[in-house]
Amino acid sequence: MSKDKSPQEDEELPEPALGPMGFGILLGTAALYAVYVGVPIAFGGPASMRFLTGLSAFIPIAVYLAVAVVLAVRPRTSRWGAGLLIGLGIFTLLGGGICVGTLAAQTRA
Amino acid sequence: MRGHCYTLLMIGLPFAGDGLVHASLLGLGILAALLFYAYEKRRRGLSDPRLWPIAGFALAFGAIGSRLLTWDVSRQVSLADWWGNGDRSILAGLVGAWLGVHLGKRLTGYRESTGDLLAPAVALALAIGRVGCLLTELPGTPTGGGWGISLTPGQAAVLGGPAGVGLHPSFAYEIVFHVAALALMWRYRDRLPRPGDLFICYVTSYALFRFGVEFVRGNEVLWLGMSRPQWFLLAVLPLLFRRMLRVFGEPLRPELKGTAA
Repeated sequence: MSKDKSPQEDEELPEPALGPMGFGILLGTAALYAVYVGVPIAFGGPASMRFLTGLSAFIPIAVYLAVAVVLAVRPRTSRWGAGLLIGLGIFTLLGGGICVGTLAAQTRA
Repeated sequence: MRGHCYTLLMIGLPFAGDGLVHASLLGLGILAALLFYAYEKRRRGLSDPRLWPIAGFALAFGAIGSRLLTWDVSRQVSLADWWGNGDRSILAGLVGAWLGVHLGKRLTGYRESTGDLLAPAVALALAIGRVGCLLTELPGTPTGGGWGISLTPGQAAVLGGPAGVGLHPSFAYEIVFHVAALALMWRYRDRLPRPGDLFICYVTSYALFRFGVEFVRGNEVLWLGMSRPQWFLLAVLPLLFRRMLRVFGEPLRPELKGTAA
């Protein structure tokens, strides 16, 4: 593949193996699962939830998205933001939507 | 496979309804796509730090779009219920990803085309992710012959399909398409006239393919024998064809140049 490389490649600094983006992915995904799976378990299951039901179930994910976008747009924190955005995508695609939907569907008593 | 020894072409569905298998392969597809994106970015000599946030926008908004953009208000289902239990759609996900990329580029001020960088990674993700669909979801409509994927009564009850008849392996068709598309994109990745042309070719060919495969997918028919995705594609395809005419209006580049995204 060496003939496919462009001249700029040799001048690039090597990217970190994990770095802020990798930590952003891990931290973001873990945080979302903690909020939408860990907290309900800690409170005795979705049926006992009061503060995270109905449309308020979307508040954490909306706040997370806003923070991730702000970090991704700022040059100094763009890798963290990119990692958080990728983490949100992974969480949403890999069944996290079911967690959010289950909580959101809980009606207030 | 019970009761179907009369044919060698009837196969079973070992992981019907298994969410863990589905999620594992989807996750593997995402991981492969991210690694491929990193490789292709490096191969093209693109070191702009805004390219990773743009990939993040694509993935996050694609995931959100796959859930929200299929919301059917006529079914009188709340957004919360839809988010948790409503339909998911790759087409809606692609629209969401496209919107996410545009938002990301606008917010970061990145002006260059990114489609050619993203398209092969998307094809790889879909090829792997669809294996999860193939192993776990209702495969398609009856083939009408002694071949196809056959569900046991238990699996049929879980997936909502007929038991004991051969069903089109529509996800296998799609896997073949994405693998072929990836191979072609790899072959012509540096030869199309303009940045973005590779992406246009991939999306247009997928739209055409998906329109056809929908006839054996078994999705709900909306009107005139066509499903919701087919009506969406009918609206989008003329726009894509118009872009394709521009791509093929110019000759291929004769040699590798390799720096355009």
